[in-house]
Amino acid sequence: MWQEYLFPENINDAVSILSGSDGLARIIAGGTDLMLDIEGGRHVVEKLVDLSRIRELDQITEENGIIRIGANVTCTQVVNSELIQKKAPALSQGARRLGSKQIRNIATIAGNVIRAQPAADTAVPLVALGAKLEVVSADGTRTMEILDTYTESFAKSKIDSTSEVVTFLHVPAQGTLEGSAYVRLDKRRALSLPILNVACKISLAGDTIKSASIAIGPVGPGPRRAFDAENKLVGSDISPESIQSAAQLVINQCDPRNSLVRGSRKYRMAVINKLAERAIMQAVACAKA
Amino acid sequence: MMKIVGKNIDRLDGVDKVTGVGTFSTDLSAPGMLYGKILRSPHPHARIIKVDTSEAEKLPGVEAVIHRGNVPNNPFNTAAPMYTTVPYLKPVLDQWIFAEKARFVGDEVAAVAAVSEKIAEAACKLIKVEYEVLPAVFGIKEAMAADAPEIHDPRITPEGKNVVAEIIRIPPGLPGDALDKAFEDADIIIEEEFKTNVQKQCQMENMAALAITKPDGSITVHSTTQTPHPTKAILAKVFGVPASKIRVTNPPYVGGGFGSRIGLSGKAEVVAIALSMATRKPVKVVYTRKEDFMATDTRHASIVNVKLGAKKDGTFVALDLKGYTNTGAYCTFGAELPGVLGAMTLAIYRIPAIRYYGHSVYTNCTPGGAMRGFGNPQGNFALERVVDMMAEKLGMDAKELREKNISRAGDPWFLPYPCSSSELAECIKQCARSIGWERRGKLNNGSGHIRRGLGIAVGTHVSNAWPFCVDYDNAYVAVQSDGSVNLSVGCCDMGTGISTSLPQICAEAMGLKWEDITFTFADTASTPFTIGNHASRGAYAQGTAVKAAADDVKKQLLGYAAGLFKVSPEALIIEDSIIKPVGAEGKGVTVVDPMTLPGAIEEAAAAPVPPPQDHEIVKPVHTQGPQKGISLEGLAYYAHIRNKQFIGVGKTIPPNAPPWHCCAAEVEVDTELGTVQVVKMAAAHDVGTVINPLIVEGQIEGGVVQGIGYALSEEILYQPNGQQAHTSFSAYMLPTAEDIPEIDTFIVEGSDPSGPFGAKGAGECGLVCPASAIANAVANALGAKVNELPMTAERVYALIHG
Amino acid sequence: MMKKITVNFTLNGKAIEVFCEPDKMLVDVLREELALTGTKIGCREGECGACTVILNGDAVNSCLIPAAKVVGKEIQTIEGVADNGRLHPIQTAFIEKGAVQCGFCTPGVIMSAKALLDKNKSPNSDEIREAIGGNVCRCTGYVKIENAIKHAARILSEISVTGGGK
Repeated sequence: MWQEYLFPENINDAVSILSGSDGLARIIAGGTDLMLDIEGGRHVVEKLVDLSRIRELDQITEENGIIRIGANVTCTQVVNSELIQKKAPALSQGARRLGSKQIRNIATIAGNVIRAQPAADTAVPLVALGAKLEVVSADGTRTMEILDTYTESFAKSKIDSTSEVVTFLHVPAQGTLEGSAYVRLDKRRALSLPILNVACKISLAGDTIKSASIAIGPVGPGPRRAFDAENKLVGSDISPESIQSAAQLVINQCDPRNSLVRGSRKYRMAVINKLAERAIMQAVACAKA
Repeated sequence: MMKIVGKNIDRLDGVDKVTGVGTFSTDLSAPGMLYGKILRSPHPHARIIKVDTSEAEKLPGVEAVIHRGNVPNNPFNTAAPMYTTVPYLKPVLDQWIFAEKARFVGDEVAAVAAVSEKIAEAACKLIKVEYEVLPAVFGIKEAMAADAPEIHDPRITPEGKNVVAEIIRIPPGLPGDALDKAFEDADIIIEEEFKTNVQKQCQMENMAALAITKPDGSITVHSTTQTPHPTKAILAKVFGVPASKIRVTNPPYVGGGFGSRIGLSGKAEVVAIALSMATRKPVKVVYTRKEDFMATDTRHASIVNVKLGAKKDGTFVALDLKGYTNTGAYCTFGAELPGVLGAMTLAIYRIPAIRYYGHSVYTNCTPGGAMRGFGNPQGNFALERVVDMMAEKLGMDAKELREKNISRAGDPWFLPYPCSSSELAECIKQCARSIGWERRGKLNNGSGHIRRGLGIAVGTHVSNAWPFCVDYDNAYVAVQSDGSVNLSVGCCDMGTGISTSLPQICAEAMGLKWEDITFTFADTASTPFTIGNHASRGAYAQGTAVKAAADDVKKQLLGYAAGLFKVSPEALIIEDSIIKPVGAEGKGVTVVDPMTLPGAIEEAAAAPVPPPQDHEIVKPVHTQGPQKGISLEGLAYYAHIRNKQFIGVGKTIPPNAPPWHCCAAEVEVDTELGTVQVVKMAAAHDVGTVINPLIVEGQIEGGVVQGIGYALSEEILYQPNGQQAHTSFSAYMLPTAEDIPEIDTFIVEGSDPSGPFGAKGAGECGLVCPASAIANAVANALGAKVNELPMTAERVYALIHG
Repeated sequence: MMKKITVNFTLNGKAIEVFCEPDKMLVDVLREELALTGTKIGCREGECGACTVILNGDAVNSCLIPAAKVVGKEIQTIEGVADNGRLHPIQTAFIEKGAVQCGFCTPGVIMSAKALLDKNKSPNSDEIREAIGGNVCRCTGYVKIENAIKHAARILSEISVTGGGK
């Protein structure tokens, strides 16, 4: 267990603590997953580096059509943000369903992405919304597409919290004739991980779908995009039949495991299209609203 | 007119609990206390060849490592029936502190005491165990198969391999041909098999015990047990020490039970004592939530077969029931529970020909034990589904078919206690009205993916443990010299409110002001024997003892007071702790010093001593009225300084009485996903006279929500390697506040001749019918056969789509 | 042995200093170092809410928060809810409305309810259920808990109208 708990005052200090600690210092955000991971022996940590005194990371702002979400922003902040309710509703809906009030009050969106769980309630919508991550390390700052942060290993991110810091998430703000939505299948409404979840973002040109983005989980090591269904949607009309036939294709990108807790592969493959259909319909309804 | 019974008196434990001041076992500490941790088997079935503790012992901070080689090896049963088994059954002693074989994943192998929990945990990891892994079996039918591995010594399974204890037959003995003949008279016969999975109690406080052994050989255990007295007796046998040396007590609060700690709290008490004996220091053992899921008793999974025969007019003529319950690695309640499953299921309806055959089966699962309902929900689900199927076949309304066949008060039946009261017919009416039963069959127009359905189920339960276990009870009531009244009962209040309802019974019976009563409970050192709190028996069985003790002491008080008033005892009453003449009920009296009453004056005049003085200890009570009265405090003090005290004793053998209940459910099924949403539940209960309505409603509501979990989402499944798949609150889906539907609760007050003030058991029946009603509603929505619980989305999807 | 650290924070309105191992969780500091056992442990995994405390106005699971993280913060526990022995209206409502059974979840539920009512004077059922969704109660079925919180909200708004209370 850790021997030091540090509060750097700025991002540079955070990065330099990490780089001087031989991989034994690690960023802690909300810590709601990290504490259990350390307890379970997933990480060996000597120093925890807490970003909560870096106030610039507390904010949700919008600049030039991009919503910037700081690494300290909690799920509760996201749920309560009118900006996100209006311009990234799928994220707002996802954040509301994560864990419980107590968890949402402290867990961060950035942490939810880095933890890399395939069905993370905020990561799946962020994938559909095309979010990017701003990552700072000793080598400088870079921007990554959210989907590129996932690996082919279950729940493993390419972002290494012992050497780099996610500072901001960039989420394209939803414009007119755009809509997004998040749906999940679960065994209860609080404190539960999804059996399946789907987020969808749509833009319309009249009654034709101009672009579509669908993210699904947990159907692989991380959240996945349903590219075949997206391609089928683009250029199609918004009739239930068209949406239904596109939604059938989400299984092409699904490879769920058998789980006694979450359900069998067979069941999840059987119902994912119905869930996708609902997400698309709701995104379309949102775009038309 | 009752003043205290039937009233929503604020709970006596309320302030302690809302301020965080109330202590639970997990909160306790003692000077020099060590922490105990248990090493558990990773294998579901394995012989333990060798336990090497040398590395663990070397870890700084470790003070003792115990294993089979250095602890007593007396066989026992963690469940209370070790000490409460009735004469015609034999207690099954199939457990040891550490057994020579691990029989489930999580079975106890060794334990460590250390200066911190972390060090104890680290030391457990340093213990090297050599196992010989044996073939394991997890299912009921698999364990009964010819090629199944044998889990216990054949001396423990005289009825056959992996068959636990005696086979239960109702009626007892070998079956005749009466039942088969009765089926010949039936116009319609329905035969079905049902399956239920494991439910977990999930009491919020984990198993915990703090054991303090002293150089004089005495052992005090503060623990989470629901049954301090039988637990004391069990512990004496486990350690081979005189029972007089052991004290078991709750501190006094217990964070829920629901059956999980009837007897020992898992093995928390035995491990804490063994470690305390080894270190001669206090040792506290607190289970983790994962340990609670893996290694403490669960509800039994079951297979139940129902064969029901009815005439065309709906009259039930014959019922043949078989119940098989998975008791896992150890018996615990595996002998008694199949009996309750059968008896409670057979008792619901008047059926002239009945038969039950049932027993438990050993497997390499976590032990099945007691959980609220104790076999009854399993049987109820099966029969109540078949009754709905029968209604459909007959073309009758499912509610009317029940109304036609339910047992009624005074009906002769097979149980050794009378069917003494029933308001079930009224319960059915209330539920049907609340749920809008007339809408049944008219809820769906065939379009869309949402199907609605309504379901109803009825049932009964027990008010104490007889004839399944020993059941009698005791209470003391002392009127102290200061006028306060101390009631003493050996009960445990795990949240059911018994530490408020028993004082209510006492205060009502004695005519006390509520603030005059104090209550001593949950401590073997200061209370008389009781078998503890389970079987819905607190208010009923302990209540009868309290009532008897209160009546006894009241008789003594009135007898003594009568001599002072110079009237017969029957001419006096006690009201609001004032003793006054009959006829002054509800009226003020002039409260006087007992010294001024004629009997006292006479006595003083006759005594060869100076006249008595006013000690001015007892404050005058200022009430006025035409007649004279004395305060209880005045009388107690008057008696006290004349070397006299009043102590009442209650010793009762309550016969048992049936509570009755009906539950109705409205559901929405999403046919595309298989998800079931309970829209509304109605629950109506006849639990006799209600001692405290808020407490009883709380029992019903809590039971209904546990029933919703049982119906839809709660289960523990096993991986092929014997690992439990559900060992945390994130995997095991019990309902949260965001999951509950509208719940309508009705108390249909009856009165039972055998209960205190007419009360019957209320603790368990809330959980008996909800799952059956929900299953019937789902079947109604889909027109599908629902033969397994829980009805997870995946199972319901399979019902719809194959 | 690990080098201990000093953690300063405000607990139930009073500044305090705790000297503890750097990896202690807040719940253990409360229960073991400060002997405030009203905050309970039901799972240690953030999945039951028995350990709920209020951190700078928000309900959190104290089992998931390193004590070192709360430096300079304000923590309220169940022990700080009553005012000099006078029960808070939420506490009174829990007793009067029958929302207490075994009592093990009760401190955590009350802290969640307090965090809600401190910010929202008249919550609806959905808001109440959201606020206590992370507090598992196995006894009550939540019905009376919801009633009690609604009742407390009414009492609190009467107090604020009449100007009494805190």
